[in-house]
Amino acid sequence: MLQCIFLLSDSGEVMLEKQMTAHRVDRSICAWFWDYVLSQGGDSSKILQVIASPTHYIFQVYREGITFLACTQVEMPPLMAIEFLSRVADVLTDYLGSLNEDLIKDNFVIVYEILDEMMDNGFPLTTEPNILREMIAPPDIVSKMLNVVTGKSSNVSNKLPEATASCVPWRKTGLKNASNEVYVNLVEELDALVNREGMLVKCEVYGEIQVNSHLPGLPDLTLSFANPTILNDVRFHPCVRFRPWESHQVLSFVPPDGQFKLMSYRVKNLKNIPVYLKPQLSSDSGNCRIDVLVGIRNDPGKTIDSVTVKFQLPLCIASADLTSNYGTVNILADKTCSWSIGRIPKDKSPSLTGNLVLDGMDRLHVFPTFQVKFKITGVAFSGLQIDKLDVKNTPSSPYKGFRAITQAGQYEVRS
Amino acid sequence: MFPQFGATAESLTKASSLVLRIGTDAHLYDDPDDVSIAPLLESRYDSEKCEGLKRLLALIAQGADVSHLFPQVVKNLASQSLEVKKLVYLYLLHYAEKRPNEALLSINCFQKDLSDTNPLVRAWALRAMAGIRLHVVAPLVLAAVTKCARDPSPYVRKCAAYALPKLYDLQQEDNTSLEELVCILLSDNSPGVIGAAATAFNSICPYNLLLIKRNFRRLCETLPDVEEWAQIILIEILLRYVVARHGLVKDSIMFASTSTLNSQSDQENAAFGTVGGEPNDFKLNRLMLRCYVEGQEEYLSPFQHIKEDGNDPDDLYLTTSMNDDVRILLRCTSPLLWSQNSAVVLAAAGVHWIMAPKNEVERIVRPILFILRSSCAAKHVMLCNIIVFAKTAPSLFAPYYEDFFISSSDPYQIKTLKLEILSTIATESSLPVILEEFQDYIKDPDRRFVADTVAAIGLCAQRLPTVASTCLEGLLALVLYESSVSNSHQLDGEADVLVQAIMSIKAIIKQDPSAYEKVIVRLIRSLEIIKEPAARALVIWIFGEYNSVGKIIPNVVPSVLKYLAWSFTSEEIDTKLQILNASAKVVLSTQGENLLTFKEIFQYIVELATHDLNYDVRDRARLVAKLLPYDNIFRSQELAEHILSVKLPPGSYLANNLRIYLPGSLSQIVLHAAPGYSPLPKPCSILSNAEAGEITKNMGIGISLEMNYPDSSSVSSIDESGSVYDSRNSDTGSIDSDEAGFASDPNENGRTIGTVDGQDALLVYLSDSNNYHGQTTQSNNENISELISTDLTEMMSKSALESWLDEQPKPSSAQKSEHSSSARISLTDQSIEIKPKPRILLDPVNSSGLDVKYAFSSEVSSNSPLLVCVELIFENVSAESLANIAIEDEESSRTVEPQDQVSEETARLLSANETPAIHPTEVIATLDPHQIVKKVIQVHFHHHLLPLKMAVLCNGKRHSVKLWPDIAYFLHPLSMDMKSFIEKERHLPGMFEYSRRCTFTDHLQELGHKENSSFQTDKILLVSKSFASKMLSNSNLHLVSIDMPVSSNIDDASGLCLRFSGEILSSSKPCLITVVAEGKVSGPLDVTVKVNCEDTMFGLNLLNRVVAFLH
Repeated sequence: MLQCIFLLSDSGEVMLEKQMTAHRVDRSICAWFWDYVLSQGGDSSKILQVIASPTHYIFQVYREGITFLACTQVEMPPLMAIEFLSRVADVLTDYLGSLNEDLIKDNFVIVYEILDEMMDNGFPLTTEPNILREMIAPPDIVSKMLNVVTGKSSNVSNKLPEATASCVPWRKTGLKNASNEVYVNLVEELDALVNREGMLVKCEVYGEIQVNSHLPGLPDLTLSFANPTILNDVRFHPCVRFRPWESHQVLSFVPPDGQFKLMSYRVKNLKNIPVYLKPQLSSDSGNCRIDVLVGIRNDPGKTIDSVTVKFQLPLCIASADLTSNYGTVNILADKTCSWSIGRIPKDKSPSLTGNLVLDGMDRLHVFPTFQVKFKITGVAFSGLQIDKLDVKNTPSSPYKGFRAITQAGQYEVRS
Repeated sequence: MFPQFGATAESLTKASSLVLRIGTDAHLYDDPDDVSIAPLLESRYDSEKCEGLKRLLALIAQGADVSHLFPQVVKNLASQSLEVKKLVYLYLLHYAEKRPNEALLSINCFQKDLSDTNPLVRAWALRAMAGIRLHVVAPLVLAAVTKCARDPSPYVRKCAAYALPKLYDLQQEDNTSLEELVCILLSDNSPGVIGAAATAFNSICPYNLLLIKRNFRRLCETLPDVEEWAQIILIEILLRYVVARHGLVKDSIMFASTSTLNSQSDQENAAFGTVGGEPNDFKLNRLMLRCYVEGQEEYLSPFQHIKEDGNDPDDLYLTTSMNDDVRILLRCTSPLLWSQNSAVVLAAAGVHWIMAPKNEVERIVRPILFILRSSCAAKHVMLCNIIVFAKTAPSLFAPYYEDFFISSSDPYQIKTLKLEILSTIATESSLPVILEEFQDYIKDPDRRFVADTVAAIGLCAQRLPTVASTCLEGLLALVLYESSVSNSHQLDGEADVLVQAIMSIKAIIKQDPSAYEKVIVRLIRSLEIIKEPAARALVIWIFGEYNSVGKIIPNVVPSVLKYLAWSFTSEEIDTKLQILNASAKVVLSTQGENLLTFKEIFQYIVELATHDLNYDVRDRARLVAKLLPYDNIFRSQELAEHILSVKLPPGSYLANNLRIYLPGSLSQIVLHAAPGYSPLPKPCSILSNAEAGEITKNMGIGISLEMNYPDSSSVSSIDESGSVYDSRNSDTGSIDSDEAGFASDPNENGRTIGTVDGQDALLVYLSDSNNYHGQTTQSNNENISELISTDLTEMMSKSALESWLDEQPKPSSAQKSEHSSSARISLTDQSIEIKPKPRILLDPVNSSGLDVKYAFSSEVSSNSPLLVCVELIFENVSAESLANIAIEDEESSRTVEPQDQVSEETARLLSANETPAIHPTEVIATLDPHQIVKKVIQVHFHHHLLPLKMAVLCNGKRHSVKLWPDIAYFLHPLSMDMKSFIEKERHLPGMFEYSRRCTFTDHLQELGHKENSSFQTDKILLVSKSFASKMLSNSNLHLVSIDMPVSSNIDDASGLCLRFSGEILSSSKPCLITVVAEGKVSGPLDVTVKVNCEDTMFGLNLLNRVVAFLH
């Protein structure tokens, strides 16, 4: 049972306060929390999600500079609180387009209305985005203009969405004039770990199937894969029926309207990585020579785009002088180096060289980890293939679109 | 490149952000009170009201207190615009508790909205009304919730379920009606409502698992359709039910022997070790079981020794996974392991962890590991739970070690959790890979994490002795490397890594010192390069501790000792202390030719130390010098050995500080029992009705059973453990009958897990066992009575429920009685005895002999409708006369609190301060001993439930007293005839009609009297008289009529109906009371009291009052 929710800005300012139960929580808890954040190094993204303060148990989720903070004083499933806060963040992102301090402040009334609808007495009430959208209209350009011109526009719906009574509560009822199309998007993240010896320790893909559906009526979809056996782990949107998956590994579902995450999956024990990075650091008498080579290892057949390499210089380095033969190198104030390469050229392999001056010691004894980012459009790196998508229960056959993209997830190379 | 272009771009983004802000509520948030808000709220236009409310909301968001506008805001509740309503609700809920009186003004609006045709309006009204949390409206909310629980819209029903916990918060004492509602909602056919009802169940009556029993199957089957949040709660409820109903599962992981859980059980045992050198029976899974069932606090009871085969007695509390309910629960929760919501996954995993047979537990592993990657925010909580799972069953997680490899972006706490898990699940086959990974970590820039890694390496080496030497090599190399690094440059954290490395070495050496002789020597040699004092102290400790181990070390002792003596003066304090200790240990353990040299060196070191600058060092020097005097070494040798060379038992690496709570609980994360945490219910603590009935029978059978098998293993369970063995058979009868009778009682904690291990335990824990036994039997009895009582209440509530269900569609029983044949008689008021019961205002004990009683009188004040007449009876019970007795209102005698913020309207409505609270306030000049003076005063109560604080002045002394109001006297009799009564009643149906049941027994006493005096009177007449007298003595009402039943059975009072009427003093609204009796004259009567009143709150409180005095 959550007692309250606070929305904190990047600087620790309380932007919004919503008390949920009779046991109200003073906002001084936020000051305590912010002191705690500062004592932990000030990086909000690295704060644990559950903190026991002297008076309350604090749950917090950090998204795009906003801290969603909730308190309780009694036992409750902590993951419920965390998932709920994440859901609030998702819904707000969906409503406001993105998430930042100004957007929250500018639309604080909507945020209040959403929070009130999402939680009652500390328990989640309506969290289904489709229903919420019907109850509280998102701020769109039309309502804004109406607001400017006439001075009045209500974003609160006058009637209860019928979906609250239906057996598929995630779907708007009575959808008629939909564009009759459905897009299936495979979004994969490639995690890889190369150890200091240059060996590939771990390589796996975390993927999501994102579906954007605009279908009329109550369509019934069946999505099947050519190679479902490669999937190690799966999680489903509530609309997916369990039985067909258990028996035939087929996804059968009535989709919500609009964009949603149908499924997430993991494919483990991959053997290849598309991009290699070879760091070399050799130090002697107070100086360290650094050489980093980046290249394509197994050509995936599509272009590898937006390649960046990031690493944190160790604290003992006094100054650094880095140059690259391709792309640009930046060293930020917190000693983070970022080397943005973009597209890897065919003719040469990009390299970064430079000299690091050590602060009072002969040799380097700690070594940075390089994080690589890239993007490959048109390829699902796991090799997962969609066999077919059947749409039933629609008046005419809809347009179906399929896409795939692979990005680097936790792609780390140690040196 | 193009600075001018850059500037343009910047201004462009600025401009675009401005454009984006147009039409939003940005300006309201930025400057909420640049316009006066109050006039906006009073505006006739909804849009202006909205703006005003939005500004208020902005102020709330920013933490300002805007509660002073409460009255203006509340007025807007009546608005037709839903947006205004919503905003008002938001404001109202924020401040209702702060301004309870004004919040009451909103009730009528809610009442109206509750009968709106729009379900959304109904739902909002219900939510807000329950949300304002005022004690006085609780009965109203209950009525509203009861109504909404049958609403056609599932959304409204869902909100009704959510309102129940709010109501429960308000009035925790009486929750039978709430439980009935929970029960109704649990049987709803909409999954959304069921989910909400489960939530309500959890907050209102989590222990009333019998409610679940009726619905168990259906609840399991609807589980996948219930909303994800409710799934989390429902899973937990179902798990608790199954444990309470059927007990724990015998083939689950809790009861598995260690060998099946861990392939290296032998090494495991070696690692655990025991004081006595025997293999320890300590089983983590049994320990966990105890924690789950009994809570962390209890598990450290004396019965740590657990029998290997807990078969016979355990079976009584155990079930198998073949049990139908268990199977259904497992089947219905397993697809939830694929849920998108990580809390659901963990809840489902928890059920499988506790209930699934051990060969099926494996299926939870991959889903929970997948959460580590797919929900980043859940990572920490998940790892905290996995660590407990992994420690209990390392083999489950062993193949998935890669998932715990550390990513550089992990926060420090996540890294340490992963390290701990890795060192727990490492096996012979995976260890090389894990160690290689650890080696990478050692070069990580975060040195705190590196220190932890070094500790983890030490743990791995202790768990798997085969790799210990490899680990030691690596650690030694690290020690040498680190000492060179930290020497060359002072860096944060380097010293910690070094110290941790030596600690890990120390822990490994401890297991078998003689095998690691060479390591010790190399470590001692490195003293020359180690500069860090804490690290040096550790090495010197190792040297002192193992100075006589093996063959090589004794050879190096002389030179090391000389070196230490030489360096003593330049050392830090810690190191100096260790040098003193080590040299003393050397002297103690050495025999032969070297002893004299050592003694001399020792003497030299002591000499240096006694002149040290530091107190501690000087003290320590004196201590060791006294223990080991130079001249006579043997005088206190034994003592010295005890102090200096105690051989510590090799500690188990699984320290007892592992704290276990139920999986998925908050307590497991914060590692203490959070308020409201409750472990699993006692296994088999609820029985089916049939079984409960058999309990008594069992008690009889138990004796004979035990007689037949006096040596059965159950006899040797804890019951007997404290008693003398020889007398066992003699007292079997008495004790064992208990035991057999309550065989299915779970409170015998020890037996849930296994019986006490043999006779050793009995001897050791003699006294405790005695205690324990006493408690057990006691709790047995308690439990049984509890069982019976819950059963009864269950049945009662059921019947109440049925009648309640019947009531709704039919006309109320009061109306029904009209159609049955009845005779109406009218009684003159004279024939009814009216004797108001005086209450004590001032006790003579506290007031030097003045006794003041008060009784509400039926007079009606002529001054103001707000005044209530109270008769005060002053009596002097002392021997002296009292003077100057006066009554004074305590609140008005103080400075009147300014209520300027309240608007005029409210002030008028609440009408506090203009009228004096007490009227008149004359003084009684003297009161002689035993004189009684009666006075009627008119009192203005501020509220019909809150007492009025007054002071009684007497002899110049002031006594504070409280005058409690009686709502039954806030009425005055309204005379009407039967026809107009019926007419009025018809005008006040539905929301304005409330009824409650109670029993009436007053007439029995009178009947008793009458029987003695052998008068032949009509018993029913007597009953009706005693009814009327009771009612009129306790309230200020007009008796309209008495309907008496005409039936062949003279003893049957069913149908007796009395009607009273009155008018509320303050508002002149009529108030009708109907009392209908049922049952036999000779027994307690079942009474239904019905109140019809326009002022709902008053009516409900009046109803409660009437029921209270009738009962």
